[in-house]
Amino acid sequence: MVRAKVSHFFAEADRLQLAAVAALMALGVAFVYSATMAGEPLGLGQQFAELRFIEFVRWLCAKFFFKQAVWYGVGVAAALAICLVDYRVLARWAFVIYWVSIVLLVAVLVPGVGAVRYGARRWIDLGALQFQPTEFAKMAVILALAHYLSRPKDELKQTAVFAKAVGMLALPFVLILKEPDLGSAVVLVPTVLAMLYAAGAPARLLRLLLGGICLLGALFVIDVLFAPPNWQIKLQDYQRRRLLVYFGRDYTPPAGASQAEIERLKQQQLDDTYHVRQALISVGSGGLTGKGFCKGTQNALGYLPRTVAHNDFIFSVIAEEKGFIGSVTVLVLYGVVLLTGLRIAARARDRLGRLLAVGIVTLLFSQMFINIGMNIRLMPVTGVPLPLLSYGGSAVVSTLIGIVLLQNVYVNRKGY
Amino acid sequence: MPIFDQLRKADPQLRLLGMLMLFGLGILMIGLWWIQIVSADEYRAKVQTQSFRTVRIPPVRGKILDRNRLVLADNRPAYNINLYLEELRDAFQAAYKAEVQSFRERLRTNSCQDATNTAVRTTRLKLSASERAMLRKRARAVVVTNIVTQLSARLELAVGWDPAGFERHYTQALPLPFTLVTGLDQARLARFEEQLVTVPGLELEVTPMRVYPYGSLAAHLLGHVRRDTGSAEGEEAFLDYPLPVYRGVVGIEGGFDQYLRGRAGAKSVMVNSLGYRQAETVWSEAVPGANVVLTIDLAVQQAAENALARLGPHTRGAVVVLDPRDGDVLALVSSPTYDPNIFVRGLSQADWAWLSDPKLRPQINRATQAAYPPGSIFKLITALACLETGLDPSAKIYNPPAPANPARGHIQVGRRIIHDTAPPGEYDFRRGLLKSSNTYFITNGLKAGIHAIIGLARRFYLGEKTGFPTRQEVGGTLPSLRRISTHWYDGDTANICIGQGPVSVTPLQMAVMTAAIANGGKVYWPRIVARVDPQPGQPGASELVYPRGRLRGELGVNPRYIALLREAMLAGVEDPESTAYAAFHQHDRPRLSRFRVCGKTGTAQVMDEQNRVIDHITWFVSFAPYEQPRYVVVVMVESGGSGGTTCAPVACEIYRALERLESEALLASDVTSR
Repeated sequence: MVRAKVSHFFAEADRLQLAAVAALMALGVAFVYSATMAGEPLGLGQQFAELRFIEFVRWLCAKFFFKQAVWYGVGVAAALAICLVDYRVLARWAFVIYWVSIVLLVAVLVPGVGAVRYGARRWIDLGALQFQPTEFAKMAVILALAHYLSRPKDELKQTAVFAKAVGMLALPFVLILKEPDLGSAVVLVPTVLAMLYAAGAPARLLRLLLGGICLLGALFVIDVLFAPPNWQIKLQDYQRRRLLVYFGRDYTPPAGASQAEIERLKQQQLDDTYHVRQALISVGSGGLTGKGFCKGTQNALGYLPRTVAHNDFIFSVIAEEKGFIGSVTVLVLYGVVLLTGLRIAARARDRLGRLLAVGIVTLLFSQMFINIGMNIRLMPVTGVPLPLLSYGGSAVVSTLIGIVLLQNVYVNRKGY
Repeated sequence: MPIFDQLRKADPQLRLLGMLMLFGLGILMIGLWWIQIVSADEYRAKVQTQSFRTVRIPPVRGKILDRNRLVLADNRPAYNINLYLEELRDAFQAAYKAEVQSFRERLRTNSCQDATNTAVRTTRLKLSASERAMLRKRARAVVVTNIVTQLSARLELAVGWDPAGFERHYTQALPLPFTLVTGLDQARLARFEEQLVTVPGLELEVTPMRVYPYGSLAAHLLGHVRRDTGSAEGEEAFLDYPLPVYRGVVGIEGGFDQYLRGRAGAKSVMVNSLGYRQAETVWSEAVPGANVVLTIDLAVQQAAENALARLGPHTRGAVVVLDPRDGDVLALVSSPTYDPNIFVRGLSQADWAWLSDPKLRPQINRATQAAYPPGSIFKLITALACLETGLDPSAKIYNPPAPANPARGHIQVGRRIIHDTAPPGEYDFRRGLLKSSNTYFITNGLKAGIHAIIGLARRFYLGEKTGFPTRQEVGGTLPSLRRISTHWYDGDTANICIGQGPVSVTPLQMAVMTAAIANGGKVYWPRIVARVDPQPGQPGASELVYPRGRLRGELGVNPRYIALLREAMLAGVEDPESTAYAAFHQHDRPRLSRFRVCGKTGTAQVMDEQNRVIDHITWFVSFAPYEQPRYVVVVMVESGGSGGTTCAPVACEIYRALERLESEALLASDVTSR
């Protein structure tokens, strides 16, 4: 029964998209390997040759690339489970899922439940397992909003409905900002905007919302960059500095600062631009064809910091080792995933499927754009992972769930 | 694009979204194109500058050999123990953790003593950056101290290390190893190899050290080196770590530095983001320097040095031994001397005091670098000039006794009385020369005229450098033709006739002059370097041969006159009346068994500004054997007694050594150079 369902699913799935996703996963394992194994004395082959099998497995389990492969496995398993259920059935549970994820987002803020890493409280620690509720909250928001907006178009004209939809975005948005995880919060905005637009929300309200967001964003940036200290919004120090770095502004020492203080700020600025500078050097020095797999020096010598090379800055590793050809390949693969996703939206059986597809595709696009943009200094540094490539269990599993939801919409498409 | 075509049929919203996404992908693509294609070189250069350091590899310096290929300047392996810091990273980290631990421990105990409840808070407090830097520094010091203690115990050698120097090395030259011990001796070397090879971070390094195996032998001629981190012309400049190479300063080391120094290699060291060495690539191997083969004969040089040293270690003098047949320099001695090895080891205070002694001036090569009044040895030139202008050698001149000292002769030139060291009496050419009579040579010199004398001196190239390649040569002085054409008086000519006045020469010039007399009129360029041999196995490098017997000029004097002069010089040694007789004879029997020596003594007066005699420069120029001259020996001693009593014995000693060397076949009687 289950087997028949799965094979039916695959027979009807969008194979082009699945192929692109599989290729991205293969690249993910390969470059997480390259990014984390550079400092190791022995490579995979040698370890296999030299160790007994059980030792080899133990060795593998400690390695990021293997964990990444395991996470892919977990994600695929979750996807298989989901593909058994029609997305319309799933959508009935949308609000339950939504509120569960809100509870988790609140829980992560509670000290003792949420674990702090790198100064942000983003993880829920279950002992052996840690996961980021943010990643699942993104999917939950899309599912819930798709469900909510799938009502007849006319209802959307009511301002109250529109406002409620915006409210459904605002709640997790604020909670995620609180963690703080500016990047993940920000990617929700275009996602929701695209869904509202695709749902046929009235243009007047959309324009109002877009204008409001732009105004708020501009005010925020102006405030951070130019406002006198006591007028500034309270931001995490590192967030303010990242923004200053992105906009190429010097750190302004407080009035009456000592020479040592000014020096310290200068050094701080140099340190803070370090990630961006080194990522840019990695990407640029790759040239057309790159330095070759596992031959990137920036990562191996630790100029590209080891802590971020395999997750947020994995694109730099790919670009350095495979050059322009490699980075364009990655872009093309994403392009395939995104456009097939939009095709799925176009051929969806109902408004729910269409909105779900649009939401997932826009989320993938936003994350990819912000992440790659940050690697080449088009975007400020925020902790947004590159979907499917960056190391990270929660992100990988959540992205794979998103992909399988897309496929679910496709399998149950129009005229079938 | 097929996917997009399908979207066309769909609603405009999805089309707009699709366009926006394609636009976004396009922006990323353009950005990547700009960075990875257009500006790629710029970023590659940045990778280079941040992750590569260039290091100079010092080459092995060429040797300096004597004519029989005996080594005068050599390289000896010096064994150093180096500490490779990148291998200590784990140890540094562990020590740092321990330091942090104990630091917090101390904070805790302090706050416990305050009996407040802040203990827990204090231990969690983050350390400030300066505290962390301080702890890291201390951790490094602990690790190095441990290694040094271990090393000292195993080697049974008190190894000292300078923490400040280490910190400097750590911050400025991290990719390079830190040298702990230099110049390990054989016993400790063996002990190190046995016991310490397994200690991480310690490694033995062998560097070539310049060494002069005979110490002060020919020190002035060989010159010395210094360690230099600069780049010479044609060498790779702009290195991050130009390890010091030897540079010749003076002497052969200086003059032939471009051949001896070889070519430094270069390697680039890849460093990681913390500055530790990660890998090395050698892009050019060091090319060892070429060997320089001198014309010097080690045995002759030793004999000459020993002979001069008999006058005492503080003797200021010089000896030149020359082969008159081709101008090859067989020995070149200057005294006082020094050990050039001290420049390699590093000068001590005492060394420095000795080298810069204002009176002894040991750094001066007196054979080539100082010009002295020739005194009576200039009479050889005066004699030739007189003979050329028609002097009858058998014509006699009466030398009247001086009024003040009837045992000595004198001559009056103008209103000036010039005393003669020779007794009054009748003098012909032979007696004039062997008794070195001032009266005889002034009388005849005035007849010959200053132009004849200066003209002849010019044909000996006096007043000009001999082209000695040691960066330590002066040309001496000789009045120019212009100088003697106006305001020149007989008194001045009289001075020149006896080698006083505005004329000064170097011992080497005198040796060349004597050689020309000995060989019948050929003035050679003195040759000190026979050839430059590149190290075997260096393709492209060709040997450089300096031909022997390079003629500088012919005297053009009638051979009969030269023969007359040589006879008179023979008498200058063999006639019992002569100035050098005593030095070459013992109980009226010649001290030399085979050589018949021709010689001329000289004692020049050194005047101060008030024309008072303040010092004497004593000379003895000679050649032997009389029949077929093979050796020219010139001895000069400052502040000597007289040429005959001070310098002639030194020359005699040298000839005795030469005779002995020839009889032992250590010195081929017909010296030929390949």
